[in-house]
Formats: sequence, structure tokens, C-alpha cells
Amino acid sequence: MVIDSRRRLGNGRLRIGGGLLALLLAAALLAPWLSPYDPQAMPFVPLSLPDGSHWLGVNDAGMDLFAELLYGLRNSLAFGLVGGFAALALGVAVGLMTAWYGGAVDAVGMRLADVLLAIPLVMPLLLLAVLAPPSPLLLALLLALLSWPSTARAIRAQALSLRNRPHVAAARQMGGSTFYILGRHLLPELAPLFLAGLAGKIRMALAMEVSLAFLGLFEPGRKSLGQTLRDGIQYYYLDIWWHWLLPPLLCLSLLILSLTLLAVGCEALFDSRLREG
Amino acid sequence: MRGKLWSTLTAYALAAVLLLMLSHALLRLLPGDFVSAHWERGDALLDADQAAALRERFGTEESFSGYLSALARGDWGCSLALEKPVLDLITEALPWTLLLMGSAHLLATALGFIAGMEVAWRRGSPLEKGSVAVMSLLDGVPELVSGLLLLLFFSLRLEWLPASGAQTAYAELAGGAWFADLLRHLALPLLTLVLADLPGNFLLARGSMLLVLDAPYLETAQAKGLPPWRVRYRHGARNALLPLVTRFGLRFSLMVTGALVVETLFAYPGLARLLVEAVGRRDLPLARGIILFSSLAVLVLNLGVELLYRRLDPRVCHGH
Repeated sequence: MVIDSRRRLGNGRLRIGGGLLALLLAAALLAPWLSPYDPQAMPFVPLSLPDGSHWLGVNDAGMDLFAELLYGLRNSLAFGLVGGFAALALGVAVGLMTAWYGGAVDAVGMRLADVLLAIPLVMPLLLLAVLAPPSPLLLALLLALLSWPSTARAIRAQALSLRNRPHVAAARQMGGSTFYILGRHLLPELAPLFLAGLAGKIRMALAMEVSLAFLGLFEPGRKSLGQTLRDGIQYYYLDIWWHWLLPPLLCLSLLILSLTLLAVGCEALFDSRLREG
Repeated sequence: MRGKLWSTLTAYALAAVLLLMLSHALLRLLPGDFVSAHWERGDALLDADQAAALRERFGTEESFSGYLSALARGDWGCSLALEKPVLDLITEALPWTLLLMGSAHLLATALGFIAGMEVAWRRGSPLEKGSVAVMSLLDGVPELVSGLLLLLFFSLRLEWLPASGAQTAYAELAGGAWFADLLRHLALPLLTLVLADLPGNFLLARGSMLLVLDAPYLETAQAKGLPPWRVRYRHGARNALLPLVTRFGLRFSLMVTGALVVETLFAYPGLARLLVEAVGRRDLPLARGIILFSSLAVLVLNLGVELLYRRLDPRVCHGH
């Protein structure tokens, strides 16, 4: 009973979160077709209010804000996905390795994790940004390089307990190679856990991209939800908040919400599986 | 779970050395010599005196040991755009950041802890379910979203609170009025940071208290007939506190991003805003100084929390 209701709840959250994310992802992917104008073109009357041809109005440089929103969503989401996936892959790899090999590998890996957790994430990114506006891809990968430790810790803790379960011991006895056991036993069993971690990591990378763009660390011409907010806030004294600031804020909130729902849903799924097992 | 003390200390020392080396190498990674590296990409134009001073500085900073001794002597270089010593600028901005971040962090930890305890105690109630749902949704909302919404609503729509700064300029307030002015300016940035930090603390405290609730010693304490608050806080909460202490340290490094956004958004005159401005102006010495200073400060804070954890949890200091 308990398990059933838990699982249903978990699935409900997964469904809503997944649906929302799919919708936003589709909007981002289809931006070139959905967008009525070229986001970089600036032929329109600056600061005009929304009307039939410009659903969200025009910004200070004469660019259509709806096109900007779509392309900003596209860039921000792409950064989040790249940074999130790379951080997760690193974290899972390190977590499994440290749990499996133990000893010196474990000691070095976990000490490294401690050190990285103790250094503010943004500082190395800012160091890079002082030199020159960095390429988004490079920044996303650097972020992944700095943010794997929390995933690695969680995966390691669970992998340690799995390692001593009978079926893993049996696979070992029968001469299964490390690669086989890690890939066929540990990885699938930890899947809900690291999917929850993935949603969390994407959320973190997304928030970082938006924050950095808001702080003006990317090329000013690059579209991003954060850049749109940065540009709009300068005109706070005009009545622009509802068509310039609110749409990207809403987009961002929905993105974060969908990722949170996915993470919580995956965790509940993992939890119920633990209870069963 | 945790390594021996010496290995932790080595790890922190290594991190500090790494940071120092990185900040030393930074200017050498750029193409051209030291002066053109400062000058070409920056907005500040150097006159002949400044260029000569930079060249002289390059001589003393050439070696890593020279760089370290300069840092130790308090000679952190001079901001190119603001034309003031970096260390003076840092000490000017630091109190504001300490006030904002410190109070936000303490408030979020204390509130999250107490709320988490109380809610865990009422396991299964509508209050618990509702608050967990709300906090899960709030968790991970970037400071930019909450801060901007608060700014739009409370200072631009309702005009209840000031939108920027840390005090009213040229008001020359004193005593109570000065303090009230300070609090009014602090309110929105503080609320933004607390909103970002609180949900994680709350969820962690609740989760860790739920584990403690099943422990036999709580049943013993109740069976002894101790008053509920005593069971809850002296016996339960004390043991549920440890994960929160760990998080308290780790949050510092995450809060830096939040501080950058919040101080920029509310134009709060702290260290983070100074850094963002320095990066925007490509003011290398200032940006490098602040990055080095704040990274080392967070590292030291984390080490402090780590040592505190060892004092609090006997399982760690006896090596289990």
C-alpha cells in the first residue's frame, strides 16, 4: 500500500515535470521555426510595447523580444544540458571508481572532492572571464569539472552498500569483470539516483548560466534569459516589467520547477525501490 | 567517512597553494608582457608613471616567492580603474558583505533547523506534507528569480523598500534612524538570500531528524518521562544537527554566486559587487585580489567548520 501510493505520487511528479520540460525543450529546439524574426536583427522601433506583430514588444536596440526569449531559452537550456550531463558523467564515474577500488583511489578521489567543494564554484569561472569573455561551451565544461563532487559522493555512498549485496558478490565470484559488474549491475540499479542527480545538476548549471549572463560575463550579443533580464532591468523606470522582465522570469521559473519535480520524482522512485529491496 | 585530520589539512593546504599559483600564473597566461596584458584589454588608460610602476612590480612579482612575500606584506597591487590599493578597497567593501551574507546564512540555518525539527516531529500531518512540498519547490530557485520578483514588487510597485544601496546617501542619519535605514536597505537582499538558502536547510534538518526519531534512545528519553521539548532538542535535535554543520560550510562556496547576483541586483556596496564591476572593466589587479581573498576566506571558513565537526561528533574524532 505504502509503496503503491508512493510510486504513484513519484510518477505524477515525474509526469508533470517531464511534460513541462518537454514543452520548453521543444520551444527551444524549434526556436528557428517558431521565431517570427531574426533575434539579432534590429529594424524595429526601440522600446515599443507589445502589439499584433511583436507579441512581447521590442527591446532598446530594436530587437523583437519574443524572438529574444526563444533564443535565450535555447542558449540557456543548452548550457544547462551540456554542463549538467558532463558534471553527472564525471560524478558517476568518480563515484563508482572510488567505491569499487577503495584504498588509494578512494582517498585521492574523495580528498579532491572535499577541496573542490570548499572552493567557491564561480571564482575560477570569473578568473577566466577577467581575461576575455569566455566561450559558453568552455565555461560549461569548466563548470562540470568543478561541480562533480556532490554527485560522486552520493553515488559512492550507495555503490558502497550495493557492492556488498549478494548478487554483486555472486557476479564477482563467477568471474564478471569490473567493467561488466559496474555497467550491468551497479549502473542500472543506481539509475533513479543519478537521474535525480542529473536534474539537479542541470538546474545548477542553468542557474549558473543565467546568473553569469545577468552579471554580464558573456559576449553582450549572446542571447540568454539572464542577458534579457540584464538589459531590461536598466529600464525599470519605464513600464516594461510585464512584457520584458516577466516572460523570461516565468520561463526560468517553469524550467526550474520542471527540473525540481523530476529530481524529487526520481528520488521518490529510488526510495520506494530501496524499501522494496 | 571522513579522513584523518592530517590528510584533511593537507588537502586544504594544497587547495590554498593551488589558488595562489593560479592567481600568480593568471597574468602570465595572457599574450604580451605584463604591462600590455594589463593595458590592452582594460578600459583604463595607463600613463607613463603607471606603466613604469607596473614594470617595476613585474620585476618583484616574477618569482612565485616574490609574489607571496608581496601578498604577505599587504601589497596586493593597485586597482587600475579606481587607482586605489586593492587591499584598501577590499577592507572597505568587506563589512557590507559580511553583514549581508553572515546574517542571511545564520538566519537561514537557524530557521531551517528549527522548522525542520518541528515539522519532523509532526510526521504525517498536513503541515508536514504541505511545508515539505512548498520547500521542495522553492529549493533551487535562483537568487536572480526571487530577487528580481521581490525588487519588482516591493520596491518598484509598492515602493515600500529602497531598491538599491546599503544606506540613504548624504542623509547623515544617526542612532536609531541610521539603524532603521540600514535595516530597510538590508531587508530585500537578505530575504532573497534567505529564500535561496532556507529550503535546503529545512529539508536536510527534517530528513536527518526523521532518522533520529526512530532511534531507541529517543524512546528511552520519552519513557523516562522527560518533557517533550527536552526530548526534542536535547536528545533529538542535537544528533540531527551534524549534517547541517557540514552543509553550513559547503553553502558558503555556493552562496558566493548568490551574493554576486544579489549585490549586483540591489546595488549593495559589498565585495561581490566590487568584483563584478572589476571583471566588467577588466581591472585585473582588483579582480584577482578579490577572487584570491574571497576564495581563501571561504577555504578557511570551511576548514573551521570541518574542525568544529570533529569536536561535535565523537565518531569522527575517535576514527570510526
